[in-house]
Amino acid sequence: MKKRYWRCFVCNDIHYGIAPPELCPTCKVLNAYVEISAAEARKILGGGPNTSQTAEDFRAAIESFAAGNEFEVNPDREKVDLLLKGIFENELNHGLKYCPCRLRTKDWEEDLRIVCPCHFTIHETYKGIKDGECWCGLFVRRK
Amino acid sequence: MANLLMFHGRECPHCKKMMPFVEKIEQETGLRFDKREVWHDEANADLMRSHREDLAPKCGNQLRVPTFFNPETKDAVCGEVEYEKLKDWALKQS
Repeated sequence: MKKRYWRCFVCNDIHYGIAPPELCPTCKVLNAYVEISAAEARKILGGGPNTSQTAEDFRAAIESFAAGNEFEVNPDREKVDLLLKGIFENELNHGLKYCPCRLRTKDWEEDLRIVCPCHFTIHETYKGIKDGECWCGLFVRRK
Repeated sequence: MANLLMFHGRECPHCKKMMPFVEKIEQETGLRFDKREVWHDEANADLMRSHREDLAPKCGNQLRVPTFFNPETKDAVCGEVEYEKLKDWALKQS
């Protein structure tokens, strides 16, 4: 099933997925999503506030993301600094925050799998491993 | 002499860690690795992609760096590995 775009008719939240959420996470209205075109979704998102994100903003974002999970951002600051540099170079040069320790295939949908943070909890470097970490080592299992 | 390739990324910490191992193996064995940086050089990235069928099955079905590859035998090692393991692999290729 292909993912499509959906818009909340109350608050204009945009969802990209095979089905819309039953409950809008922003305005909490039930059955509020209507399918829209990719062009419409891009216009809505593109016309919104032009939020920018520095490496430090991203570090705070992934620390907040990890706080609710069984993993944490690697305490090795030097390693994380190098990875963040690569992630931001990749966003600048290739459009998205691609993992610096893998290579994009040039298939847009497939390459979404290597956008940081990726779904590393299913990878062989993490799943079922006591000292597991994501492929690049940005995230490590919390001790 | 075997034509060994090393695909690496400039901001990949695993690649950074493996580079001194590679240089030491080169000094000790006389073997040479053709080092190809793939995130800042599109020709190198395309070269790695051209070997995807051989590399991906050995690297979690993805293209990962660092990857050490012998295009003749299609043999590959990927990731941060111990010095002896990489040296043994390189010697096996020669």
